[in-house]
Amino acid sequence: MEGRSMVALAQQLPRRIRRVVAVATMLGLPGSYAWYATWSASTAPKAVWGPFSFVFLLVSVVGALVLYTYAGNRVSGKHLDERQRQLRDRAWVLSYSVLSIAVAAAVVGASIVVLGFDRTIVLDGRVMSGVTTCFGVLVPVLPFASFAWLEPEPPAED
Amino acid sequence: MGRSAQRTEPILYNRLAVLRTERGLSRQDLADSLEVNYQTIGYLERGEYNPSIDLALRAAEFFGVPVEAIFSRKPFKPMSEQLYGPRGG
Repeated sequence: MEGRSMVALAQQLPRRIRRVVAVATMLGLPGSYAWYATWSASTAPKAVWGPFSFVFLLVSVVGALVLYTYAGNRVSGKHLDERQRQLRDRAWVLSYSVLSIAVAAAVVGASIVVLGFDRTIVLDGRVMSGVTTCFGVLVPVLPFASFAWLEPEPPAED
Repeated sequence: MGRSAQRTEPILYNRLAVLRTERGLSRQDLADSLEVNYQTIGYLERGEYNPSIDLALRAAEFFGVPVEAIFSRKPFKPMSEQLYGPRGG
């Protein structure tokens, strides 16, 4: 009963809220790593900045749950009508575009740092675990986020 | 016969809502008959989704009217005007 009402609540989210959730989910986890990397190198006490890393992480986790609940099996389900299939296909295309842009931006950014500023980027275990975790967690969420981003406001009830 | 301000594809006007209401059907009833999700009927009625030829023909068959009586690229005249002619002011 409770679960069903949560699903109903998630599926009635206005498009603007869905878009905010989608963006926040995608930025939360990388933001958490970036925040941690920025502050862990400083002398500031961990009690001050530490909780914010957790908040960033929580945003991604809660956002991903909301997006999964919203889109449900409409992203990968089989029993979809033609409109739902069209929307699903658009969501996959948008996901691919976002992923392509993110990878291209990372490569360009790294090139600028290395070639433009003559600095070295060290891909140590900490950096690689952050990158792989972000990709591992966010890439599966991306089609759901795209779906939530694209779907228009639901029609009013009869 | 609704239309969205954000759409990029051509608008297809329709009389689905009128025909459905005329027959006392809910969106769910019509959706079941046309084998689509009930929200799809809502999006069609609001003009936010253009149906495939197959779905348009199924709708025409279901209502027993020609497809051009349901879907049009130009706005439909009000039903009263079609039945009784234009009323001058």
